[in-house]
This record gives sequence, C-alpha cells and structure tokens, in this order.
Amino acid sequence: MKLILEQMPVVLNSLNIGFLQTVRLFFVTLIGAFPLGLIVCMGTMSKFKPLSLFCKFQVWVIRGTPLMIQLLIIYYFPGLVLHKNIWGSGETGRFTAAAVAFIINYADYFSEIYRGGIQSIPVGQEEAGLVLGMTRGQIFFRIKLLQMIKRILPPMSNEIITLVKDTSLARIIALQEIIWAGQAFLKGSQGISGAIWPLFFTAFYYLAATGLLTLGLGALEKKLDYFR
Amino acid sequence: MKKMICLLLSVLCLFTAVALAADSDTITKNGKLIVGITDFAPMDYKDADGKWIGFDADLARLFAESLGVEVEFVEIDWDNKVLELNAGSIDCVWNGMTLTDEVLSAMECSKPYCNNAQIVILPKDKAALADDADKLQALNFAVEAGSSGEAVVNERGWNCTPVKAQSDALMEVAAGTSDAAVIDSLMAAAMVGEGTGYENLTYTVQLSTEEYGVGFRKGSDLAEKLNAFLKDLYDKGTLLETAKTYGVEAALIAQ
Repeated sequence: MKLILEQMPVVLNSLNIGFLQTVRLFFVTLIGAFPLGLIVCMGTMSKFKPLSLFCKFQVWVIRGTPLMIQLLIIYYFPGLVLHKNIWGSGETGRFTAAAVAFIINYADYFSEIYRGGIQSIPVGQEEAGLVLGMTRGQIFFRIKLLQMIKRILPPMSNEIITLVKDTSLARIIALQEIIWAGQAFLKGSQGISGAIWPLFFTAFYYLAATGLLTLGLGALEKKLDYFR
Repeated sequence: MKKMICLLLSVLCLFTAVALAADSDTITKNGKLIVGITDFAPMDYKDADGKWIGFDADLARLFAESLGVEVEFVEIDWDNKVLELNAGSIDCVWNGMTLTDEVLSAMECSKPYCNNAQIVILPKDKAALADDADKLQALNFAVEAGSSGEAVVNERGWNCTPVKAQSDALMEVAAGTSDAAVIDSLMAAAMVGEGTGYENLTYTVQLSTEEYGVGFRKGSDLAEKLNAFLKDLYDKGTLLETAKTYGVEAALIAQ
C-alpha cells in the first residue's frame, strides 16, 4: 500500500496524459462520425441503385470485420502495399490513422441507427409537406430531423458509451492511450517497474467518463421529452 | 462515382510505381533515423525530462549522428515490429532484440552486440523447485508468445501458456495462474525483487544464452554501416563506456 502511494503521483500523471489521448480520440471520432454517418445513411437509402449498393456493401464490410483489423489495415497498408507510409511514424500519424479508422467504423454503425430513425417517421408527414409545397430538403431538415434525433437518442447513447471503451483498441497500432500508459508500468517506465495496479486503475477513468456521459445523455433525453 | 474509382486506382498505381531507393539514401533524404523501441530499461527508457536514454538509445543517437541525421524514437507494439519496419513507419528495431531465427529471416540484422539469457522466475517460497529438473518439469510456465523463452520451454517439452508480453508472464506467476515464467535476464533484473510490484518473485536457473542485435528492413545497407560503426566505437572504447553507464558491461560482446 505504501509503495502504491509513493508511485501514485508519477502513475497518475502518466495515466492522465494517456487519458487525454483517449478523450481526444473519442471527440474527434464523434465529430467526424456524426455527419459522415448521415451521408452514408443517405447513400444507403438513395434511389440510385449503384450508390445504395456500394454503401450497403461498405457497411457490410466495416460492420463485418473487427475494428482491430481495420486499425491494422489502415495504419500499415499504405506503407506495406503502396510503399509509401502516408501517416508518418510519430504519435500524430498514429492518432490520425486511428481517428480515420474509428470515424469510418462508427459512421457505419450510426448510419444504420439514422436509417431506423428516418424510416420510423410516418410517410404521411412527408406527403403533407409535399402538398404544402416544401422541397425534400426542407421536409428533412424542418420536419423529420428533430423527431428523428429524439427517437435515435437511446441507441446512439449506447454507441457513444461503447466508443469510450473501444478507443482502447487503438493501442494495437501503438497509440499511447490510457491502457498503453497503464501497461507501461508492468514492464517498467519512469523508474517504476513491475507495477501491476496502474493497469487495473485505468478502469476508474473509463467509469468516470461513462458516468458523466450517462448523466449528460440522460439530461438531453429529458430535454427532448416535450414532443412525443 | 466511376470517375472517383478511376481516380483512386490511378493514384494507387502511382504509389506502387515509385521505385525503392537504397535505405541509407531514404534516411538522408528524410533527415532522420526513426528507431522503433519499447519502454525497456536499461536499453531504452525515459529519464526525468522525458528524453529517451539507455544503452540502446544512446548508441542509436550516436549512430544517427554518424549518418548526419536526427534520431527519432517511436514506441511500437513489439508484436508488430516487422510490420512497422516494412510499412516504413520505423527504420530500425533497436531495443534489446534477441536474434532468433524468425528475426534473422524477417530483418536485415547487425552483428550481435550484447548477451542475454533466459531464466526461470518463481515465487520466493518455491525457489527451491528450480534445483530439481524433475520438479521443474511438472510446473506450468507462462512465456511471451513468440519469445525465445517460449522456444526454450517448448524445446524441453515443458507445459506452457503463451501470453502477450514478458510482463504478463510475470503477472501470471504473481497471480498464481501459472507456476513459473521464463523471461530475459536483463529484464528480470529490473522487474523482480525489492521495490517492484513483484517482491514475492525471484529469479532462479538460467536455461539458455542468446544475443541481442539491431534489425533493419530486409535488404537495407544500414546493417553493414552499423557493424562498421559499432566496431569503430568498440575500438575507441566508447562502447564499453556507454555499457558501464547502464550496468550492462558484463553482457557486452567484443566487436
């Protein structure tokens, strides 16, 4: 116990730096995947057959393969196959590659949730809009979007909370997020070697983050409660 | 859509058409030698200011200087070292790497510069088991998958559980999920005993000896350059001096 207290400042500092990287990856993924998911969703529902087939195929590939493999492919393939490492070697390159993999992966999951939300809006509302002379764009943004957001919030919350924990997969391409930072002390880092507890301690960071998110998303759900 | 696909394909062709230049030219052009490492005292580790030091790190810095380029240290996942090399995200693996058959066939390696050994780690209260080969045979060993420790254990036909890292192997013993572990002696010295999280473990018998080397991309001309460089450093006495700084002089190999 005394040993742990002595190690605490160094370990926490290192875990905080790792967690910052985790949080950064989390937000970048969300910012990228929210709009990209909508684009993929529109593509899937498009009346133009080749586009919708392509989107459906793409969703199948991404949802049908492990995110870990996608990370490895996105980071290593350009250098291995094209002999041109487009990401760079340092932490920034690894982060960019991880962000790209996460955005594509999560956008595809989001797109299916969006589709469910859009298709759950009764056709009558679209017909009414058309009768009133609104364009399809107006109908989508002014009538359907907000109702859709309310309906998809619970499944989206699920995905968002999963994302917090999925970020740990990025350690496979040596992105130094919090699990990596915790594991470093197992072997030896900054004068502390063979320390087991930092790895397990990382769980508290995830718990705190998901706790905050649960509260925030719950509040948002309440806010959207006024229209049913 | 079709236009997009055509464009994508032509870009792909362009990249593949780029001819591969000699490795030393590539590095001079980039202005830096990117060294793939893991946090591994006393070979590569960070000092209080966050600068990479260690026996390997100091040598890598000197080598880059001799090539007239900067050195950049990048932490990698040890399992992916060959991938990283071939993908060009690192230029060499310089991190107390045992020259196994797998490493020698996948990389262009330097001559060995340091000795290492595989040793058995046991809980302190069971250390006496190591004195008796029959008793060792009955134990269940945790080893790092793909490590030379695993090879040694398999050679003897002992029961073993492969885990992801040498540190995981130690955790198995500490948690009692395995009876013993086989890891590098240089690493064991830093990780086991007083002041570590593994105070109840101890190192016992040495199973085999092996050698450390530096790995470059297959066909790279840098391995030869490093051999000449290390020989020069050895003759000047710098190599021994650096080894003494990190307490590995006993393991040093004459060049």
